[in-house]
Amino acid sequence: MDDLRVSSGLFFSLLGLILCAVGIFSPATRAPLTEVNVNLYTGIVMVVFGGVMLWLARRRV
Amino acid sequence: MTLGSIDYFIIALYFVFVLGIGWLLKRRVATSEDFLTSGRSVPVWITSLAFVATNLGAQEMIGMCASGAKYGMMTCHFYWVGAIPAMLFVGVFMMPFYYGSRARSVPEYLKLRFDEKTRTFNAVSFAVMTVFSSGISMYALGLLFELALGWSFTASVLLSAVIVLIYTYLGGLTSAIYNEVLQFFLIVLGSAPLAILAVAKAGGWEGMSARLPEVMSRAWKYTGSYSANPMGVEIFGLVVGLGFVLSFGYWCTNFLVVQRALAANSMSAARRTPLIAAFPKMFIPFIVIVPGVAAMALMKMGVGYALPPKGEGYNYDLALTTLMGQFYPSGLLGVGLTALMASFMSGMAGNVTAFNTVWTYDIYQGHIRKGAPDSHYLWVGRMSTIVAVALSIGAAYLATLYNNIMDLLQLVFGFVNAPLFATFLLGMFWKRATGHGAFTGLLAGTAAASLTHGLTLAEGKGAWLGNLHQFPSTMAQNFWIAIFAWTTCCLVTILVSLMSRAKPVAELHNLVYGVTEIPRTGDAPWYERPGTLAILIAVICILLNVWFW
Repeated sequence: MDDLRVSSGLFFSLLGLILCAVGIFSPATRAPLTEVNVNLYTGIVMVVFGGVMLWLARRRV
Repeated sequence: MTLGSIDYFIIALYFVFVLGIGWLLKRRVATSEDFLTSGRSVPVWITSLAFVATNLGAQEMIGMCASGAKYGMMTCHFYWVGAIPAMLFVGVFMMPFYYGSRARSVPEYLKLRFDEKTRTFNAVSFAVMTVFSSGISMYALGLLFELALGWSFTASVLLSAVIVLIYTYLGGLTSAIYNEVLQFFLIVLGSAPLAILAVAKAGGWEGMSARLPEVMSRAWKYTGSYSANPMGVEIFGLVVGLGFVLSFGYWCTNFLVVQRALAANSMSAARRTPLIAAFPKMFIPFIVIVPGVAAMALMKMGVGYALPPKGEGYNYDLALTTLMGQFYPSGLLGVGLTALMASFMSGMAGNVTAFNTVWTYDIYQGHIRKGAPDSHYLWVGRMSTIVAVALSIGAAYLATLYNNIMDLLQLVFGFVNAPLFATFLLGMFWKRATGHGAFTGLLAGTAAASLTHGLTLAEGKGAWLGNLHQFPSTMAQNFWIAIFAWTTCCLVTILVSLMSRAKPVAELHNLVYGVTEIPRTGDAPWYERPGTLAILIAVICILLNVWFW
């Protein structure tokens, strides 16, 4: 856990999962000027980023 | 703008992680050097991202977005002209001396190269400056949250300060640096969607530039004269004042950023730290400045977005938060605000960790108590972390009471900083430069800066001694103050050095060019060679400038 790849990987995976959950279960949540489900898309990007971090951490151990 | 429970949950999750990182790194701290300099053990990808993040404070995020809205793409000069060349220079040419000298801080380098008085002058002014600048950015953040979210000023200031205190107290510099990297990722991932959404809504780059005066979408085209651009600057002042004097003075001598490179685990890593940092640095304008430009285009479209008015113009400082309010739904809004808090914390932790090192090694060990056991200095380092945070909070409240004092202080710091790069340049590349020369040069440069300010007028500022010249903007005035300060410092240092006795060459090993072994990098793969990296970055940076000419 004191490997930064693990801690930031976990953080962004969690954050991404939360955003995905908001995007999936409450797809009507919109800001005044945003038409797309931006929570879901950002969530997916964060899960991927967090996943890559965790994968890098595993690979080098 | 109102937050839902999910947004608060995201903010809380972030707090848990930064504190957790501090707690986990606690066991790596055994000596004062572990605490204050990370024991030179941090991998290069971490020091590089921390190098960018510590400079990407909340004031920068808010200010650059505001400046994008006010002046347009010319704001990018603060990155492409005002940062990249200096970052390349410090990595390729200066790091061999900083890292090779084994100095634990920038003032300590001055002590090794010159003498005690030069070091003390730099250490004291730097220590005072870091405390005030972290106080000022704390004030800006508290004010913004009060205005945008209705949070209490005291609560947001105290909460963020206490969190920074806990994680830097526990894990020292390593913890600050690790968190800066997490914060950097969060700033990028939390702000990039805003840039994409705002630009898309404004009709893409083409749509944006079509709706705005051309000067807003060009970086260089209108810099021929003061009157052609809203910034009120011209190309010579911009390139020499900002691009050379101010920028090299900041990136090459400010311990706040240099400290990140000195924490790297090898000479090669230390040299590559500012270089690798330059890659993300030159693209940061796209997430902090471009949304501000898009905000102005959106206002012309009548889609319901408007900046709140202020005086005769707009309150540009609210550009970033009002955009978030209009484009981020609950969920992402929490991420966006957490990113803003993260930027604040990375800036503040940078100030705190630089302060405690300079205080402990350069002021306390240098003047108050020499030769104590290391455990004592570790204790002093920890205590000065608490003191730094307490003083910053005090400075933030001082700013709420006396805004003018803060303006005055920032002005004075500007005077002290402007000549610094001349001292380092001569110190590192001219064996003959002496301590007396450096010290009198710094004093003369500072005096020249104040004199220039006292004799010129810009936007009603300055000219307290008489009005010899009028500048069209304070920015142009600042550039020229820097140019005069630097030139004076350089000339006086040379003159006094020639009149005083130089240090014997034997004492200058690893401190000055010519008597320092520059590490050979020919055998390393291209991506580990500082020169190759620097050329690559320079080419990309030039392409960006041409693209937005």
